[in-house]
Amino acid sequence: MAFLDIKGVSKRFGGLMALNDVSLQVEKGEIFGLMGANGAGKTTLFSVIAGHVAPSAGEVVFDGTRLTGLSPSRICRLGLCRTFQIVRPFAGLTVAENLRVAALYGSGRKLSASEIAAVVDEALQAVDLADRRHLDAAQLTLSGQKRLEIARALATGAELIMLDEVMAGLNPTEVSAMLATLERLRGEHGLTFVIVEHVIGALMTLSDRILVLDHGERIAFGTPEEIGNHKRVAEVYFG
Amino acid sequence: MILGLALAVFGVAVPFIGSPYMMGVVFQVAMWIALAQSWSMLSATTGYLSLGHAVFYGIGAYVCVLLTGTLPFELALLAAAGSAGLFAALVGMPVLRVRGPYFVILTYGLSELVRHVVMRIESALGSFGRMIFDVPSTEVLLWWMVGLAVLATLGAYAIRHSRFGAGLAAIREDEVAAETVGVPVTRLKLLAFIASAIIPGAVGGLALLRTSYFEPAQAFDPVISFTIVTMALVGGTETVRGPILGAVGFALLSELLWSSLPQLYMIVLGLTLIGFILFVPKGLSGLLGRIGRAA
Amino acid sequence: MDTLLSGQLLFAALVSGSLYALVALGLNLVYGTLRLLNIAHGDLVMIGAYTAFWMISLFAIPPILSLFIAAALCALLGWAVYAGLFRRMLAKPELAKRVEANSLILFYGISVILQNLAALAFTSTSRGYQYLDTVITWQGISMTGNRLLSLGVAASVCFGALLFLRFHLFGWGLRAVIQRREAAQVVGVNLNRVQLLTICGGFAVAGVAGVLVSMTEQITPFMGFPFTIVAFVVIIIGGLGNIGAGVLAGFCLGLVETYGIALTSPGYRSILIYGLFVGVLLVRPEGIFTKAVRS
Repeated sequence: MAFLDIKGVSKRFGGLMALNDVSLQVEKGEIFGLMGANGAGKTTLFSVIAGHVAPSAGEVVFDGTRLTGLSPSRICRLGLCRTFQIVRPFAGLTVAENLRVAALYGSGRKLSASEIAAVVDEALQAVDLADRRHLDAAQLTLSGQKRLEIARALATGAELIMLDEVMAGLNPTEVSAMLATLERLRGEHGLTFVIVEHVIGALMTLSDRILVLDHGERIAFGTPEEIGNHKRVAEVYFG
Repeated sequence: MILGLALAVFGVAVPFIGSPYMMGVVFQVAMWIALAQSWSMLSATTGYLSLGHAVFYGIGAYVCVLLTGTLPFELALLAAAGSAGLFAALVGMPVLRVRGPYFVILTYGLSELVRHVVMRIESALGSFGRMIFDVPSTEVLLWWMVGLAVLATLGAYAIRHSRFGAGLAAIREDEVAAETVGVPVTRLKLLAFIASAIIPGAVGGLALLRTSYFEPAQAFDPVISFTIVTMALVGGTETVRGPILGAVGFALLSELLWSSLPQLYMIVLGLTLIGFILFVPKGLSGLLGRIGRAA
Repeated sequence: MDTLLSGQLLFAALVSGSLYALVALGLNLVYGTLRLLNIAHGDLVMIGAYTAFWMISLFAIPPILSLFIAAALCALLGWAVYAGLFRRMLAKPELAKRVEANSLILFYGISVILQNLAALAFTSTSRGYQYLDTVITWQGISMTGNRLLSLGVAASVCFGALLFLRFHLFGWGLRAVIQRREAAQVVGVNLNRVQLLTICGGFAVAGVAGVLVSMTEQITPFMGFPFTIVAFVVIIIGGLGNIGAGVLAGFCLGLVETYGIALTSPGYRSILIYGLFVGVLLVRPEGIFTKAVRS
């Protein structure tokens, strides 16, 4: 059974079909890419999986547990966490406090003070924010806040993390640093990632498999090479 | 810490050393500390500003007046606290779905609604104010009130420094993000709401025993809510000592002005509140901190 | 049953409905353009009422002329609030953020100050005067001249304002600001001017309502708050920033209130109003508001 199994999910907003019968399976330890133009339904899919939006039809199963109907906090405690395209730091708390909250609540079990400290330190190291730990999150640069989003998801102890455009707005150096970070996290911690990215190059290098959405429907699925050669994707994406 | 301890010791000792007038002042100060600290358990931690805490105070007073005579006063107080908490538990879920300025005015409206309902019930029963007899001595009531102030302060401190408090801070900063990293937002908000209601219920009961007279329009007076908010905001919501500073300051000011010029007192209250929101967001506590660092 | 169907009750409902529509109109205009809930709005009604009272008692100026004086006075207050607060907020984003987060508490502070200033200046004694109180009977309906006048003025101001907003160029600009603030600026609406004129107009309308109320009801420093609550109920039912629906909702509330009281008793008036208020906020906490707040 797949680690994350999305079965025929549809979402209708009024007359708009944001997602139409989307199915996909993510295996443990892989990096799964989601591609699509603006309004293709990527963020809606994230919201459905993470429990922020109830699907009109279909269901989501994670590690054998049915997620549909559970609250986002419950889903996080089960080991699935998302980041936000438009960053949502706890602006008035310090970087370390941001991570502490995630460590305190994210795992669903009570950790000791020293375990919490270790989780926070590890997350800070992973995204290279250790030297800013005492800054207020509001004082970080955009790149810093994007990394904080990832670190916060890591600190929850999630096994599967969904990243919503964490590269957008970063310069090429920052993008390659981010790519290296994600690769390392997968290698060292055996994490699974589902990523949405507008920076197509990054998506292609990073992903094991890619699903392409257009107007809420899946139009292509395969390895990065297969997607690169796919005719309809080329039409939709590159005109 | 030292400030709180000194106040508590003074409060306990005052019946032996002070005049009845002094005891009255200490009773008032302790009462407002207990109320402002309780308020801060919800409003300072989550940012959900309640302008309706009079409702818990009033419910406590009402339950207490109905039960004294049938129950020993300690049990009546316990019931008063419990009923206030129960009321918060019952209305909390829908009320806490409302955010920002709407939450502020909703809590105000709710408190007024309960006030008018109780007034209606009382007048339907043909009661125009209830007297109670056999109240405990002033000293005993004072000790209870000081005890509640200490309890509320310790409670506020414990919440701020706990896992619970960290979750509430996350809710204040960003509810959606808090939920996403595993904070059970709805449950924590409700718990904070209940926690902030219980002690005001007991305070309402004690204040009733002290005046030995119940009149719904007074017990649910919105001025109580307003005073709590003002004290807490002027004192500073970022620290536990803030509400203490605010309560002590205004209780003393009220001793100076309230009996002679109540309107002037309210005007000063309003002006101070506005001035602090606009120019001293961290309150007296923040000012003290700055002075402390400068020295 | 007979009384329920009588024209008498309908007339009473229309008189209070038109007043509610008028009070809510002012609040709605200010909210729509400034995005701040002015909880001191009812106190402008109080100021209008006192203006009429003093004008007639001191200078024998009849309320029909006081309408203009009160309107001018309140418009001046609007200008002062705008110049004193909002200009500064526009200049300082840090301050603006703080004001927005605490807007309701801030305005509550202003409200408390206004009420107590009035109490200090005019004492808390309720005042009243007699004006056009001869009874006219038409089709079996007894009406006093002042109530007829009140209905006439309130209804014409409401519908006049609606027509103005629909057909005058300024009205277009104003509606553009309510719906899309940024876009309105892009197409050349002078936001500053629209906001200033709207706040003056909104305040003036409340002053006018105050004069009308003073002809038939007791005037006290604390008479304003219930009007704030009524105005909130009206604009929440009608939709915040939705001027036309707000006027309609005002008349509806007048009907509901008048018939509700006729079916029960006057003692239920406050319960009815606060009950509606709480109910409406609970049922549609997110609905219209968040959209209106964020856009």
